[in-house]
Amino acid sequence: MKISLNWLKKYVNIPKEITNEELIRLIGARLVEVEGVIDESHKYDNIYIVRVEKAEKISETHLTLCQVNNGGSELIQVVCGAPNVQEGMLAVWIAPGAVVPASVHEDAPFVIGKRKMLGKYESNGMLAGADELDFGGDHSGIAEINPESAKPGDKLADVFNLNDLVLEIENKSLTHRPDCFGIIGFSREVSGILGQSFEEPDFLLHEEVFPEGFLEETKDGVQSRDNDLRVEITDVQICPRYTCALLKVNEATGQSRYLSEMQVLLAKSGMTSKSKVVDATNYLMLLTGQPLHAFDYDKFLKVGGKNEPNIIVRLAKSGEKLELLDGKIVECVDSDILITSNDVPVALAGAMGGKNTEIDENTKNVLLESASFSLYNLRKTQMTHGIFSEAITRFTKGVPAGGTFNVLAEAVKEINGKPLALCDRFLGRKGSETIKISADEINGLLGTQYSQEKIVKTLGNVGFLIKENQNELNIIAPLWRTDIHIKEDIIEEVGRLLGYDNIEPTLPLHKTAEKNRMFSFKSDIREKMLRFGANEVLTYSFVSENLLEKSYQDKKNSYKIINSISPALQYMRQSLVPSLLDKAYLNEKLPVEKFAIYEINKVHQKKWGVNEEGVPIEKMHMGFVVAERKNNNTAYYKAKRYVDELFNAYGIGVQYVPLKAELAAMKPFEPLRSAEIRLKDNPDVLLGVVGEFRNSVKDSFKLAEYLAGFEVDLDLILEHAANKKDIVVLMKEKRDLTVITDKTYGEIVDGVEKILDEYGVEAKISPVSIYQSENEKDKHITIHLEFTDFKEEVMEKLEKL
Amino acid sequence: MQELEQLKQELKKLNEEAAKIRDVPTEQRAEFGRNLNLRKQEILAKIAAVEKAALDAKVEPIDVTAFCGVNEPLPEFYSTLMGSRHPLTTEMDRVVEIYQMMGFDAVESRQLDDEYHMFDSLNFAKEHPARDGYDTFRTEESLIPPAHTSTMQHRVLKQYKKNLDEGKAIAVVVPGRVFRNEDVDATHEHTFYQCEGVYVSKTCTMGDMLGILREFFEKYYEQKLNIRTQPGYFPFTEPSLEFLIEKPKSLGGKKGDFLEMLGCGMIHPNVLKLAGIDPEIYHGFAWGGGIDRLVMLKYGLMDVRYFESGNLYFLREF
Repeated sequence: MKISLNWLKKYVNIPKEITNEELIRLIGARLVEVEGVIDESHKYDNIYIVRVEKAEKISETHLTLCQVNNGGSELIQVVCGAPNVQEGMLAVWIAPGAVVPASVHEDAPFVIGKRKMLGKYESNGMLAGADELDFGGDHSGIAEINPESAKPGDKLADVFNLNDLVLEIENKSLTHRPDCFGIIGFSREVSGILGQSFEEPDFLLHEEVFPEGFLEETKDGVQSRDNDLRVEITDVQICPRYTCALLKVNEATGQSRYLSEMQVLLAKSGMTSKSKVVDATNYLMLLTGQPLHAFDYDKFLKVGGKNEPNIIVRLAKSGEKLELLDGKIVECVDSDILITSNDVPVALAGAMGGKNTEIDENTKNVLLESASFSLYNLRKTQMTHGIFSEAITRFTKGVPAGGTFNVLAEAVKEINGKPLALCDRFLGRKGSETIKISADEINGLLGTQYSQEKIVKTLGNVGFLIKENQNELNIIAPLWRTDIHIKEDIIEEVGRLLGYDNIEPTLPLHKTAEKNRMFSFKSDIREKMLRFGANEVLTYSFVSENLLEKSYQDKKNSYKIINSISPALQYMRQSLVPSLLDKAYLNEKLPVEKFAIYEINKVHQKKWGVNEEGVPIEKMHMGFVVAERKNNNTAYYKAKRYVDELFNAYGIGVQYVPLKAELAAMKPFEPLRSAEIRLKDNPDVLLGVVGEFRNSVKDSFKLAEYLAGFEVDLDLILEHAANKKDIVVLMKEKRDLTVITDKTYGEIVDGVEKILDEYGVEAKISPVSIYQSENEKDKHITIHLEFTDFKEEVMEKLEKL
Repeated sequence: MQELEQLKQELKKLNEEAAKIRDVPTEQRAEFGRNLNLRKQEILAKIAAVEKAALDAKVEPIDVTAFCGVNEPLPEFYSTLMGSRHPLTTEMDRVVEIYQMMGFDAVESRQLDDEYHMFDSLNFAKEHPARDGYDTFRTEESLIPPAHTSTMQHRVLKQYKKNLDEGKAIAVVVPGRVFRNEDVDATHEHTFYQCEGVYVSKTCTMGDMLGILREFFEKYYEQKLNIRTQPGYFPFTEPSLEFLIEKPKSLGGKKGDFLEMLGCGMIHPNVLKLAGIDPEIYHGFAWGGGIDRLVMLKYGLMDVRYFESGNLYFLREF
């Protein structure tokens, strides 16, 4: 939304000491987010009002040679191509050297010069059309100025108050404030921020448009005495109030001959001038936040097929069709609200009118609508049909029902038509709520010491009604503040209007908190991995169907995103390693010669089901992939070295057994060259998998031969982690032991441990080498032993292994 | 291999058949082509599967209990110089540490949640347009990869309610990964990190909230900072604010250059009520802000996309 400061200043008295800069800061600090400020204070420099004193057609061209009076002593010669230029008119002259306003924000603004036309006619500057002045679409001729409002030599900027700053407001920060989507509501807030009482425009307080005796009260609202407008609302939930008036107009579409202030205001707010009636409705919407719609009444009757106007507001039937003003045909869904003429759709309520009742040059009678619709229905309408009109932007914030009538009355006045009938159906009327609160409660939550008097004044400035009952304030919100229901809403108003930045920051005293074990654990792992030269990566939680397939994971086990950005991000991942393989490819290509990447993150599998809260079980995994572009050794042992060190560091005894389990995380691993990692003391506990990948996986990820990885469950590891590692600093007896065998390394270590146990001796076992000569059947496995209590006989026994 | 040969023969036959399309009457050609193509895809898929199986069959088993291959050197760790920690996790640890010193427990946020925790428990009216502002992803089960760490507020309030009974405050921060359905560019990511804070006691005020937040940012950036607030709107806080800091000079900021760091406010009484806390007795405040932005500012990074890129040229700088 755009807010012109000049327009705002018509409704608020800004004290001299408050600069524009300070005003914008205050608005930003106490009302809305100001996304940007468009500085238009020099946009209309060197542009003047002139009188065309002489206008001679240049024969055989469309051009006219004009002598214009700019208030100076000499006339100035300008060549003009517009058909409507004529002697005596007041026009807008862009002097040589000035920039055409419509091009100000372009990369190369267009500077008007002095030049010769047709080789002989000197032209100084130009006479401008409304479009060149950035006031909207009309390119049919030059702009004409009402002689009652200006004289030659006046600056255009002064006549139309154009030296302005325009604020660009972030709409999202006003989601709950429909009242601020109009300049009046916005101004009211600015008044409040400045500590001034807002002077409500008369027309909002009482209407003086309709002749005396024209209206009468009914139980559902008001209507004209001889009313023949019938309004039926099928469900008060979708439309709490519908007010409409029928008026006879002289010309509905014609535009004023003169450039008007309204046209200028519309343009500044980002809307273009269309026609007299439509401009008036748009202008009032910008002013009050209440969208209006105008139907051609005679077409309205014809569509309904009856002589009496029967306006029915109802929900659409699914599949019902309507052609809108922009020519688009919508197929309705059953949450859309329709305005119908005798049940035939004529408008998609709150969004856009129908083509079948459009105002045109023949319109004689106008049916004006001012209503309030359910923001929930309109939000669905907006999403379903992708309509983002100014009207629906306001309706989806919840236009209050209280104000429809007064705005309609003002529109009737603005259009200057003759009111024939009026009907107001206000079925969703709500009683006013009184909120009881005290200054102590307000100050207690904000941490302030505002006096009761100051609070009462602050709220009163923006229209709250307050009755003071000693220390208790009984507060009724104004009818446009449909968002005020509870004490906290009042506290917000006080805090905001008086400035949150006036609240003194304080610090409640506290002891330090306990550390979260998992956080510390992860942090510790990261430190270790850093020391081991590994690189931590973070990858998306979403993966593609293709990635799952390449990893042999069943996509049915993945939660599927129905509104994903792209097919690459359609499934929640089941494990981390596939994402790492993907990144391994990227890095091999960069190229990085060798690397070990890992990620610690959450994963999800449908198979795991839900927890006691009914939400999917999440597991904290660590995935790891090591890759080298050139290395002929067995990659498995590198990955194992890393994972083994991890378990070692946390004092967890594990065993590596050939991979049999068919869990999702294990699918990309090659069973003959991978191992399950199980607790040594309790083989039922499966902590993870380490290994190389299937050849087809390597192939489909396009990865080099030297490739291995692991994936482990950190929740389980933390559960079994020893709090402290035993640190033994003793003289140790160190021995090497070589065994010639066809057994696995694991079996040899088991054998060694058994013997150590028998003798009740402790020793740390570490690997040295595995050697096998070409013509030998058996391997030479060498291990290193560090005994804390050495016995020679143990060594003798071991050597017989 | 025999199977592969057979499939290749079938494919060849199919291709020959395809050549005959000229003999098919025009009106049947589309159908003919479609049919042929379907069969072709089927055979190609089968060939791919057979080829993959053949690849996978060429495997030598190894001794998985061993520590190195036969006649191979013992594998070594890479040099520490090659290692790196992800800047986001490093900084997240720092964030948690600062709050811990200030007395906040830490709980990690979920990455897949339900409508109740994401919206309902936070006082979002059903169908309310405010829900749109979050651009949430959804799964087929209508689960939500959360768009804010506030998805944990209700849980944290319930979990730590006992603190109040013991006369202590609830003070918890919740860091975690969140998701929004938006297009990715230098300043937008669909996946990013946030940290939530929740504080409840009998006597806390908005002044306390502003004090805690200022303290945090000053500790994090290791200097005095100018702070500023502006009104915001969140259904789960009332009043709601945006919290801004003036970009420090040392990080390339100019005077008046304020940056939105987080959204915050006094917890809405309905949110407390839903968690079983009496809003007549207790009140609280909460905040949530992006970690990525915090870190980008600290390191002067211009492109958020690097964080999840996995690019080692970037990551090894940390």
